[in-house]
Amino acid sequence: MASEAVHSGAHSGVHAEAHEEAHHELPARVEPDVTTSELIATTEANATGVRNWMWILGALTLVGIVVAFVKVLIEWSDQDEWGYTAAMVAFLFSAFGGAPLVAIAGTLAKGNWVRPIARFAALCSLVSIICTIWMIPLILNLPMLVVDGARRRSIWFEGPDVSPHIWALVAMITLIISALGLIYAYAIPDFAAMRDHSTGWKQRFGAWLARGWIGTTVQWRTMRMRIGMMGTLYFFTFVFVHFIISTDFAMSLVPGWRDAIFPMYHAISSIQAGLAVTVIGLWAARKYLGLEKYLHLDQFWSIGRLMFAFTLLWGYFFISAFIVFWYGRSGSDQMWIDYLILGPYFWVFILAMLFIWFTPWWWLIWNRVRRSYNGTAIGAGLILLGVFLDRVRLYVAAWTVPEDRIHERFLTEYPSTVYPDVMDIFIMVGALAGSILLILAATRVLPILSIWDVQQFNLLYRPVEYMKTKVSLIGKPD
Amino acid sequence: MTLQREKRQYSWGMVVDVDKCTGCQACVLACQAENNVPLNLQDRFERARAMSWIRVERYWEGEFPDIKARFIPIMCQHCENAPCEPVCPVFATYHNNEGLNVQVYNRCVGTRYCANGCPYIVRFFNYWEPVWPEAFRNHLNPDVTVRSRGIMEKCSFCIQRIRRGVRNAERENRNVVDGEIQTACTQACPTDALVFGNFNDEDSKVSKMRKDDRHYTLLPHLATDPNVVYLAKIDPDRSAGASHG
Amino acid sequence: MQQRRTIDQIHTNRVLLNGQLDTPKWWAPTVIVLGIIVAIGFFLIGIMVNKGLGVTGLSRPVYWGLFITTFVFWVGISHAGIMISAILRLSQAEWRRPVTRAAELLTVFSLLTALLFPLMHAGRPWRIIYFILPYDFARGIMPNVRSPLIWDPVAISTYLTGSTLFLYIALLPDLGNLRDRTTGWQNALYTILALGWRGNPRQWKLQTVGGILLSALMLPIFVSVHSIVSWDFAVTPAVEGWHSTIFAPYFVIGAVHSGVSAVVTMMALMRWLWKWEDFIRPEHFDALARLLIVVATGWLAFTFLELLFAVYGLDAPELELRDMQIFQWPWNLLFVTFLFTGYIIPVGMWLQKSVRNNIALMFWSSLFVNIGMWLERFMIIVPGLARKTPFVYTWEAYRPSGLEWFILFWSLAWVTFLMLLFSRFFPLVPLFEQKESQTFGDSIKIGRVRVPAIVREAD
Repeated sequence: MASEAVHSGAHSGVHAEAHEEAHHELPARVEPDVTTSELIATTEANATGVRNWMWILGALTLVGIVVAFVKVLIEWSDQDEWGYTAAMVAFLFSAFGGAPLVAIAGTLAKGNWVRPIARFAALCSLVSIICTIWMIPLILNLPMLVVDGARRRSIWFEGPDVSPHIWALVAMITLIISALGLIYAYAIPDFAAMRDHSTGWKQRFGAWLARGWIGTTVQWRTMRMRIGMMGTLYFFTFVFVHFIISTDFAMSLVPGWRDAIFPMYHAISSIQAGLAVTVIGLWAARKYLGLEKYLHLDQFWSIGRLMFAFTLLWGYFFISAFIVFWYGRSGSDQMWIDYLILGPYFWVFILAMLFIWFTPWWWLIWNRVRRSYNGTAIGAGLILLGVFLDRVRLYVAAWTVPEDRIHERFLTEYPSTVYPDVMDIFIMVGALAGSILLILAATRVLPILSIWDVQQFNLLYRPVEYMKTKVSLIGKPD
Repeated sequence: MTLQREKRQYSWGMVVDVDKCTGCQACVLACQAENNVPLNLQDRFERARAMSWIRVERYWEGEFPDIKARFIPIMCQHCENAPCEPVCPVFATYHNNEGLNVQVYNRCVGTRYCANGCPYIVRFFNYWEPVWPEAFRNHLNPDVTVRSRGIMEKCSFCIQRIRRGVRNAERENRNVVDGEIQTACTQACPTDALVFGNFNDEDSKVSKMRKDDRHYTLLPHLATDPNVVYLAKIDPDRSAGASHG
Repeated sequence: MQQRRTIDQIHTNRVLLNGQLDTPKWWAPTVIVLGIIVAIGFFLIGIMVNKGLGVTGLSRPVYWGLFITTFVFWVGISHAGIMISAILRLSQAEWRRPVTRAAELLTVFSLLTALLFPLMHAGRPWRIIYFILPYDFARGIMPNVRSPLIWDPVAISTYLTGSTLFLYIALLPDLGNLRDRTTGWQNALYTILALGWRGNPRQWKLQTVGGILLSALMLPIFVSVHSIVSWDFAVTPAVEGWHSTIFAPYFVIGAVHSGVSAVVTMMALMRWLWKWEDFIRPEHFDALARLLIVVATGWLAFTFLELLFAVYGLDAPELELRDMQIFQWPWNLLFVTFLFTGYIIPVGMWLQKSVRNNIALMFWSSLFVNIGMWLERFMIIVPGLARKTPFVYTWEAYRPSGLEWFILFWSLAWVTFLMLLFSRFFPLVPLFEQKESQTFGDSIKIGRVRVPAIVREAD
C-alpha cells in the first residue's frame, strides 16, 4: 500500500519553503479494526463522570422547564418579559444549528480533514428540538400581523394574520426533520458497526437502524447521495430559519428597522458560533474521552482558520449595515444606531463586539494560537460569549418595544434597559443545559467521531517523504 | 445625532406660506434674471436639463370634479444636515457659519454626486456651456458668476445680496435689520408667500412665522433639518393639516 | 473530475510560449482592427471632454447613467483575479492553476478601464487631475475624506497596485524562461524584467512567500473595493432603492459571479485561439462551473433579500419604484432578461455535467452571465434616479445616446486589445504553475482502486 514517490523534477517554491518551517508530527495512521473497536468503546468511556454530568444537566433542564411554566402562568402576556428567552433561542439555534454546516460544506468540498469531526458537528443539530420547545411561548407571544386594526410591517405583507406564527412552526419542524435526517444519513455505517461490535440493546438498536448495511458499492453510493441531499436540505432549512427568526422575532418588532442584510448577518455569526461549538466539543471530547489518536491539530488548525475568516466576516457584515445607517442619517437610520447600538444595551453591544470580533480577531490571527488545542478553544469560547451577548442586545431590545408603537414610521422614544430576572436566568441555563444534555446523551449511543469517516480519513491519507521533508498525500476520489 | 446649531450672528432661512402661493411663477423669473441662470430653451426642456433654482411644483389633490390644484415653491432647502455636503469629494459644497449651503464653483469638478444625494432635486448640472443671445449679454448680473459647463449650481439664497447687506450694516456698525435683505424671489413675490430673514433674531418675521402651528418641513423623515420652513395650506373644505411632505 | 495527464516539460514550454516565440497568424490583423476601434473611442471621449457632457443622454435627475454602470461592471469583472488566484490559492484548489494569470490580467486591465469611466464622466475631468496631481496643499483644501468618491480611487488604486505586483511576482519564473529562449532586444527586455531569476531555492521561496502574503493582503482589498463602489450608492437615502444595507456583500458576490464568468469566457477563447487543449481542459471548466453555481445561487439569495426588504418598509415611493423596475415597460423586459441571463439560463445549463464539460456551451453561458450582470447594475442605478423622490415634477426617463453606447463597446475592445498586446510578450498560462501541478498530482492505491491524490505540505 505504499504510495509512489512524488515526481522529482520541477523546482517548486512550496517545497522549498517546506524545508525551513518546523512542522508538527504528521498524524499516524490508525488501522480500521482498531478504529472501530476504540470508537465503539467511547460510548462507554468515562461512564461515571459522564453520568454524573448528565444528572446535573438533567436537573438544570428540569428546573428550567418548571420555571418556564411558572413564568407562563404569571407573566404570560407581557411581551417584554420574553426578550431573554428569545435571545437564548436565537443563540442556541445560531450556535448549535450552525455547527452541522461545517460537516456539510467540508464533505461537499471533499475536504479530508473534516471527516473526523463531521459526526459531532451533525449531532449539534439535535438542539433544534430544544429550540422548538422554547419557541412555543415566543410564538404565542408574537404580535399578530394586524395590530389595532392596521397591518404591521413584516415579510408576510398581505398574508393571513397568523403567518409569522405558522411559518415559524413550519420552519422549526422542518429543521428537526432535516437534522434527524442528516444525522441518520451520516450514521448508517456506524449503526452497522454497532450491530457487529456491541452487545445488548445497542446491538439490537444498531441492527434495526443499519437497515441491512453491509457496505456494498451501491449502498455507499446511495449513502453519499443521501448525505448530499440531506445536507442540502439542512442548509436551506438553516437559511430559512435564520430568515424567519431574524425578521419575525427581531426586526419586524422594531418600527423603522429595515435592514436587508440582517438575516445574512444573523447567519454569518451563526456559522461563526457553530465553528466555535465544534471546537469546544472536540476539545472536550479529546480531553475527556481520550481521542488524542483521532483528533489532530489539523482539525483544530483548519477550524481555527475558518473561525478567523468568519470573525472578519462578522466585522464586514456589521460595518456594511453600520456605514449605511451612519452615513444616511435619515430618521430611521439614526434610530437604528441610537436604539440598537448606543441605546439601552450599549455596554452589551460593546462587550459583544469585543468578544465576537475584536478579541478573536487579534487572538486567532496568530498561527501559533491556531496551532494549539487550547488556543483555538479559548478563541471559540470568546466567540460564543460574544454571539450570546449580540443576541441579547438585538432580541431583548426588539421584544421590549411596546406593541402600541409598532405602527410608527420609526421609534422615537426608546424603552429603557431590561435586566434578566431570576426566572430568565433559570430558563436560559435550563435551555443551555438541555442542549448539552441532548448531545451528551447522543454520544452515549453513537460514537462522537464517526467510525467510517475516520476510517476513510486514514485510507485516503498517506504521509510520504519528499526530498528532505515530509508531506502528506491526500486522495480525492470522485 | 442631529448636528448642534452653533450660536452665530446670522442664520439665514426662509418661510414659505403655501396658503398664499398662487403659482404665478414670478419668483422663478426673478431668480432667473438675478442669478444669471441660462435660458431654458425648448431643447433644454425636452432633454430634461432645464434649470430653475426655484421651481413651482403643481400637483393635484382629490378626484375630479372635487379636485384642487396646489402649488408649492421648491428651492434649495439649505439643510443643516445636508446630504449633498459629505459626498462631495472636493468640498465644492459645504455649510458655512450662516446656515447657508454654499456652492463653490471653482472647486467643482462635476461628479454630480451631490445632485444624487439631494432629496429635493434642486441641484443643476451645466451640460453645455451656457449661451445667451447677443441682446442679453449686457443684462447679466455683474455680482453673480456666470457658470461654465461641467459644474453644479443651485439656489444660493442670493448670497450676493446677503453679502452686500451685511457689508453695509457693518460699515454702519449695526446689525442687519429684519427685511433689509431680500432675495430676488421674496422681493418678486406679489402675495408675500416667500419671506426671507434671520432665524437667529427672535423678533424677525421668519422667526415668528416659523412658530406658526402650520409649519412643516419637506421630507422630514430624512432628518435633513432644512432652513426653509413651509406653512401648510389652509383648506376651508377639509380639516386643516399639512398636505405635503 | 481530476483527470491526471502527464505532460512533459519540453512540450509545456513549446506550446505555452507559442504566443511569444511563434506568434499566431491571426494576431496582427486582430490587434490592428481593435486598435482602430480603440482610437475611435479615444477620439469620441476627446469630443465629449471638449464639448461637454451634453453629448450624453443624461438629464435631471438621471445624473448617472451608462458610464457609471459600466464603471461598476468593470470593477466587478476585476474581482475575478483575486477570487481565482488568492482565494483558491489559500483554499488550495488545484484546478485554479492554468487560469491564474489570465484572471489576474483581467483584474489589472479591467481596473484600468474602470478608472477611466468616472474620470471621463466628470464635468471637468481636467480639474480632477489638477486637484490630485499635485496634491492641493497650497490652498489648504484637502479632498473630502468623507466622500465615497475619495474612498473609490483609494481602494481601486490600492487594488490595482496590489494586483499588478501579484501579476508580476507570478510572472517572474516565466520571464526567466523567456529570457533563456530569446535573442536580441527581446532578450534584453526579458533580462531586465526577470530581475535575475535563476530559479534557485531561495528565489522560489521568496516568490512563494510573496505570493502567499499578497494573497492574504489582497483579500481585504478585494472585499473593500466593491463594497466601497456599492457605498457610492448605498449611503444616499435620497434615492429610493439605493439606501440598502445589503449592498456591500451583494455587490461583492455579484462581482465574483460576473468576474469568474468572464474568466470562463476567456479560458474558452484561449483554448481555441492558442490551441491549448492540453492545458485548459474540460475539467477546469467543470470545476469553475461548480463554483459558479454556488456563487450564483448565493448572489440570487442576496438579490431576493434586496428586493424583499425594499418592499418591506411599504413606503409609497419605494413601491412605485419597484413597480416600475419590475412591471413597467421597458424595464420589465430588462428585468426578465436580467433574471434569465444572470441566473436561470446559465445555472440551469451548468447543472448538467454535459454542459460543464462542453467548451462552446460554457463560453456562451458565461457570456450570458455578464449580459445579466451588466443589466443588474443598470437596473440598480438608473430607475432609482429616474424616480428619485415624491416630487413627481422631476421624474424623468433616461435614454443613453449613441456615443455612450459606443464607449461601452469601446471598453470591451480596449480590454481585449490590452490583453492581446500582453499575450504577444508574456505567456497567458503560467508555465511554472502548470509544471507544479504535474508535481503535485499523484495517486494512491486503495485496494484495487487507484484514486487521484494531491500532495499537501504537512498540515
